[in-house]
Amino acid sequence: MAKFDAVVIGAGNGGLAAACRLAKAGKKTLLVEQHNLPGGVASSFRRGRFEFETALHELCEFGSADNPGGCRKTIVDDFGLDINWLMVPDNFRVITTARDGRHIDVTLPCGRENFINKMEEYVPGSRESVTNFFLLGDETLEAGHYMTDSGGKPDSNVLKTKYPNFLRTAAYPVNRVLNALKMPPLAQDIINTYWGYLGVDTEHLSFMQYVNMVSLYVNHGAWIPEKTSNQLTTGLLERFRAMGGTVWFNCRAEEILFDEEKRVKGLRTTAGVVDTRYIICNANPTMVYANLCPQEVVPDRERKLAAARRYSARMFVVYLGLNKSAEELGLKDYSYFLPASADSVKEYNSLKRIETNRFNIALCYNVVNPKASPEGTSIVSLTTTYTEDCWSEIDPKDYVRTKNQVASGMIDWFEQQTGIIIRPYIEEIEIATPWTFCRYASVPQGAAYGYELRDWDNMMPRMMMMREEYPIHGLRFCGASSIRGDGYNSAIFSGDIMAKLTLAQMEEEGC
Amino acid sequence: MALKVKVGLIGALDMLKFKKLADTRRKAIENTPVQPLPKTLVTNEKAKAMHPERQMVRVKEKRPNGPDAVTIVLESTDGKPLAPFRAGQYISVSVEIGRTRTTRSYSLCSSPAWAEQGIYHITVKRVEEDGFVSPFLQDQLKVGDTLEISSPQGHLYYEPLRDAPHVLALAGGSGITPFVGMAYALRDGYEDFDLTILFGSRTEAGIVYRRELEELAAACDRVHVVHVLSDEEKPGFEHGFISAELIEKYAAGQETSIFMCGPQAMYNYLDGEIGKLGLDRKHVRRELFGAIKDPWNQPGYPVEKKDQTFHARIIVPGQTYQIEVKASEPILTAVERAGIRAPSRCRSGECGWCRSRLLSGEVFVPEVTDGRRAADKDFGYIHPCSSFPLSDIVLEVPGQYQSR
Repeated sequence: MAKFDAVVIGAGNGGLAAACRLAKAGKKTLLVEQHNLPGGVASSFRRGRFEFETALHELCEFGSADNPGGCRKTIVDDFGLDINWLMVPDNFRVITTARDGRHIDVTLPCGRENFINKMEEYVPGSRESVTNFFLLGDETLEAGHYMTDSGGKPDSNVLKTKYPNFLRTAAYPVNRVLNALKMPPLAQDIINTYWGYLGVDTEHLSFMQYVNMVSLYVNHGAWIPEKTSNQLTTGLLERFRAMGGTVWFNCRAEEILFDEEKRVKGLRTTAGVVDTRYIICNANPTMVYANLCPQEVVPDRERKLAAARRYSARMFVVYLGLNKSAEELGLKDYSYFLPASADSVKEYNSLKRIETNRFNIALCYNVVNPKASPEGTSIVSLTTTYTEDCWSEIDPKDYVRTKNQVASGMIDWFEQQTGIIIRPYIEEIEIATPWTFCRYASVPQGAAYGYELRDWDNMMPRMMMMREEYPIHGLRFCGASSIRGDGYNSAIFSGDIMAKLTLAQMEEEGC
Repeated sequence: MALKVKVGLIGALDMLKFKKLADTRRKAIENTPVQPLPKTLVTNEKAKAMHPERQMVRVKEKRPNGPDAVTIVLESTDGKPLAPFRAGQYISVSVEIGRTRTTRSYSLCSSPAWAEQGIYHITVKRVEEDGFVSPFLQDQLKVGDTLEISSPQGHLYYEPLRDAPHVLALAGGSGITPFVGMAYALRDGYEDFDLTILFGSRTEAGIVYRRELEELAAACDRVHVVHVLSDEEKPGFEHGFISAELIEKYAAGQETSIFMCGPQAMYNYLDGEIGKLGLDRKHVRRELFGAIKDPWNQPGYPVEKKDQTFHARIIVPGQTYQIEVKASEPILTAVERAGIRAPSRCRSGECGWCRSRLLSGEVFVPEVTDGRRAADKDFGYIHPCSSFPLSDIVLEVPGQYQSR
């Protein structure tokens, strides 16, 4: 029987980071992946003369070589990934209707000074509050690092003296803190644009998590790999192999094996049984507990947790290969956020149903990467999410018609909001629905973001509880369903931290 | 000035609130009643039914179809529906002949409605030059035998957001099959476009699907069939090859998308004809046609290698094989001939199912069948179904353990 120090199930961003960390520590590590390439949703696919990026809008927490973010430090400096990265010049362009009914059409650049100045231009009188927002962001990021370094067990005196503002704001949702900062409502509407990336409206989204994300985007800029997410994930896989790791593709985990004391002792896969004491799953815990574990090893706490949580954003993406260049079409911006309104509570509710969903984030990769598609062509992707499992109601007979109707509506909405005509130039189109994400990533209900980061289940208490979060001996989870929620950087971070916790446990247990 | 942010009225309470975050979460979990974990989810089950990893079918019937083709009626072994498909898609059929396990792709030439009853049709033409699987399916395969097939694959289907309202289908020989599927789909209300099929055959007697196509055209006014005979001149038929003139005649000034399916030689000829018409690339789509038969005629091929044979070390999980590969054959063919089980589906370079890692050596990948992702090329991945060796190679092939 094959014997490994550790096994990682799933080669998504989190699994790859966990596998690399374990291999780098010299552990004999096996990575099993059900598909024949790594990445999960962090991949790419070909249609005609186009190669479509599957999921990455932009990577935050990456930064330049001179000003690296945590994510760059991990995958480039630690794991040795050597690929070409491109910086996205602007954070976003948002076109929508403000809560007070005004029309918003603004483009916010990366870099803090640029961002603050531009916001002041759009919303005179916003400077102080937006500046304070970012100062609070700095304190929050530092506090976050401290919390992580303390392994979820911070010293409260250190917190009180070094991070008092963080402490005073971390338990509140976004809107409460923005009001406390006296940020003008219009500036709030604009700065809240990114809420869709976390899938929770700003009345129920933790300020701490949100300020963290916005600050990382604005401080470090946003980055993408030159050759799609596949370059990132296949690149990480090559690094894992170079560090001695073993990969089994086309291989599915079928059952986690336990000893009499309910400790992990192995894994049965479709390619055979392996012996291991430590498993990190880049998969959804609820599904793993339900389908890969004998029910007697699963503590009741895990059943309660599963019942108490909700799944997050269920993805819908329209990938378009256009037979005109970005310049010819008038596509000047990289990302267009096109919610029906800046009222995120209203929008969150409208995202529950197919008929009312009007959200749309459009990306044009060619604006950042002229080589994203052949000369004279361009790629646009349109993304929305669903805050309820409404795609479960679709009759398979109506599936194609429904997805085409939704895609058509999104194309209309894009054209109406931006004034840019794209429909006549569609040379290739692919439409991914929540069903597609179920198929390729095995995520529950197509929810690629894992569990909703809403209210009590946001990132902060998850992080504070990281040592008790996975009570089964030898079994941990990484990826979007883990302690930090969705986002490439969060998934990578979760894989890295879970590998580090596993390494510490191995040392304690003399393995 | 040091920042001091206050959200609640009393800062100390906020601190407490922060400290309590974990406790609040613990309580939220504790106060939820224990429920059994859901083993399945409706959305995931529906997605699985639409895209099964593999399907098991039984041969229900074999019908001769023209002089050298046989239509095989497949039924699901469990009586349940087969996966739904977009008319024009294909299935990859897995067969074991001697010690070789291989796959071939066949367009579904039946109505999407029948899939709901657990029925697919495929039509197998005897291929003389590469007669390995087609004679097996025509002669050896018996009614009642079971086969493993893939879920429906491929991209030659009508897409209303992309294609013109009128489709001119250019078919050669057994390349008619996807358009038979489309005609059924139109008749049964599964699709919404106008279809004119220009169907090239040598002689009237050699036309496959003649009766079925006539019945479909009679039953559905959105389907039109025009036979083009290359070797005969007869009233009621167009004569010659499918030319730019014929395409223009039957596009008849309508906004038209051209869909093509036929052998490599037909595409070579049609590329020239379509080139004369100055059509947008979005309006010209083609089905895959398998690996290039004559890589040495492709741009960039080092002709001196053409007749050589190379050594290949093939690494699959747990085992290593030494085999020989001819420069003139796709690496996948040699791998399968040696009895090695390797994943494959489209066998045309496109789908990436056979994606493998080239550890050393050099291969030739014809540009027209190079469906690799950009980064895969950098990291040394190839699709062995469309890669020809130019030196001794070492290749790591993934196992295929999805299903047992």
